[in-house]
Amino acid sequence: MENRWFAYLIPPFIVTLLLVAGSQFVFIQNSFYQDLGLGRTGTDLTLVNYIKFFTDSFYLKTFWITIKVSAIAALLTLFLGFPIAYVVARMKSRLAMFLLAGIVVSTFVTIVIKVFGLIIIFSADGVINKTLLNLGLIERAYSIIGTQEGVVIGLMHFTIGFSVLLLYSVVVTVPPSLEYAAQIHGASRLRVYQRVIIPLCAPGFVVGGLMIFNMCMGAFTSAALLGGGRVLTLPVLVQRTVMMEVKYSTAASIAFVLLVSVILINLFSLIAIRRLRSARLVVA
Amino acid sequence: MKKYKKLLASAGFSFGIMFGLSSGALAGQFDGVTLKVATWGGSWKANMEKIIVPKFEALGGKIEFVTGSPAANFAKLVAGRGRAPFDVMEVLDAQVGDFAQVDYLQPINLDLIPNKVNLQPFQYNETYVGSWNTQETICYNTEKFAELGLAAPKTYADLAAPALQDKVSLPDINSGAGLANFGGVIYAAGGDEQNIQPGLDLMKKINATKFWTRGGETKTQFESGDIYAAVVHAGWCTRAARAGSPVMTVHPEIKPGVKGLAKEGWLGIMKSSENVEAAHWFINEYLTTDFQYEYAINSGVFPLNQDAIEKMKTDEINAKLMELDSGAISSMLRLDYSKVDKTAWIDGWNKTLTTN
Repeated sequence: MENRWFAYLIPPFIVTLLLVAGSQFVFIQNSFYQDLGLGRTGTDLTLVNYIKFFTDSFYLKTFWITIKVSAIAALLTLFLGFPIAYVVARMKSRLAMFLLAGIVVSTFVTIVIKVFGLIIIFSADGVINKTLLNLGLIERAYSIIGTQEGVVIGLMHFTIGFSVLLLYSVVVTVPPSLEYAAQIHGASRLRVYQRVIIPLCAPGFVVGGLMIFNMCMGAFTSAALLGGGRVLTLPVLVQRTVMMEVKYSTAASIAFVLLVSVILINLFSLIAIRRLRSARLVVA
Repeated sequence: MKKYKKLLASAGFSFGIMFGLSSGALAGQFDGVTLKVATWGGSWKANMEKIIVPKFEALGGKIEFVTGSPAANFAKLVAGRGRAPFDVMEVLDAQVGDFAQVDYLQPINLDLIPNKVNLQPFQYNETYVGSWNTQETICYNTEKFAELGLAAPKTYADLAAPALQDKVSLPDINSGAGLANFGGVIYAAGGDEQNIQPGLDLMKKINATKFWTRGGETKTQFESGDIYAAVVHAGWCTRAARAGSPVMTVHPEIKPGVKGLAKEGWLGIMKSSENVEAAHWFINEYLTTDFQYEYAINSGVFPLNQDAIEKMKTDEINAKLMELDSGAISSMLRLDYSKVDKTAWIDGWNKTLTTN
């Protein structure tokens, strides 16, 4: 019976393989040929595009910034998303479903519209600058466009809804009875968080954090619009290399570095966390 | 009865033949033809939909638009190895060299473009027909400059004033206006197509808050107060002025005897096009006074059609913000893109001005 069900998966698997892996293979294959510009490539297999990437300070700096802004955005998004997810998960009224539906609906709004909303809010005449100026906290309107902080805010905005939904599904797996039990035994609310909720949700944090990080690493629109041409991330650089320079091989090599780096970062993170947990278990 | 039936049948037959012939005679020149035009979206496409499309439809054809920047459309062409998903394409002056290398355009039969009489002879050749110019300017907020006690800028270096730090927007090298304006800055800083370092140094000193990729962004930023000055074509400044922003243009001093910078747009017919006659018809319509004027007013480009240029002088905002004197226009800087090493320019830009 199980084998028959497995057969149903074969056609979609083949289609997916052709559409995703096939197209990626063609693109990535290009990266191993010298880029002659205007879509033309050399005929001999070479690593010249990769050598350029790893020896050029501009590419390395862009690579580092991509990882940095993605990691910061992922951490801050988890930090912001978890309390919301927790409160919604523990709500007993129908408001919880209403709030979750609101988050789902907000994900349907195109990212361009969302980013333009952010730009308006953070503009010189926007709510945030006006409030900070009126409170005397800043002397001059602060612009988020063209700054790494702006890109981080954009990435957080892009992933926050997803992170709340993800963390909600983690929190609901923790029975509230465990919290009550801890409180009955005298644990403060903070202690319950530290010793019960956070340890039980930790695997969810790790997986959620990595998923958000992966989304940020590949995000284009937020980084392009809020980076303002001054802060470049690898996805933006891929787009510029294809559109402006029409250098497909170079763009393919950047994209491949991005793909491999994301896979490796995920792998190393999981290995590191597993080792850390087993070390803790030994200590305990 | 039989006689009547025969008469009726023969009358019906004759009517059928006559109707068939007359409908053939009335049939449009472009019956069943779908012409695909690669151009920008927004007002650019809207102008064509308003003026050119109804005329083409009256001739039996249909026009579809493939919207995107010329760079994006060129990338589509390269990806399709020259098999274009369009028949006619807007080409920027900075792309002419790239097109020469890939041979994706077919020769234009200038005999089919009678409206070329509206252009000057250097504005058409066997591969391209000129479509518009832009006057690349410094657009600035007069009120903010007065508040800061700054005089009107004369050249790009004036945008490096400390009071303007983080309040200036410059075109990204990735934008359609990028290479042209970067070239203008290079020349104004004492460099040239081969020596770009002075331009990079000046750009760094200006410390733009943003490098824009679409001119429309500057209009929004003027309105929100995020910027006080931008390097942008005069059309975007006229649009900001029409929307009520207190803005004014300056044609920057570039070198002795050269004031202002011009960028040129061209139209080309794709080699893969099967609608060659319709493509010629479209280019011819592009050059009419009506369309060129409408285009200039709505999209802010500068017309090539001489009558449209004359008509421009009757518009108060154009007269104030655009250079309408033909002598002054012809002395504006036009980059020689054959001398531009695009890779070196982009490398220099990336390493000096991005990823701060």
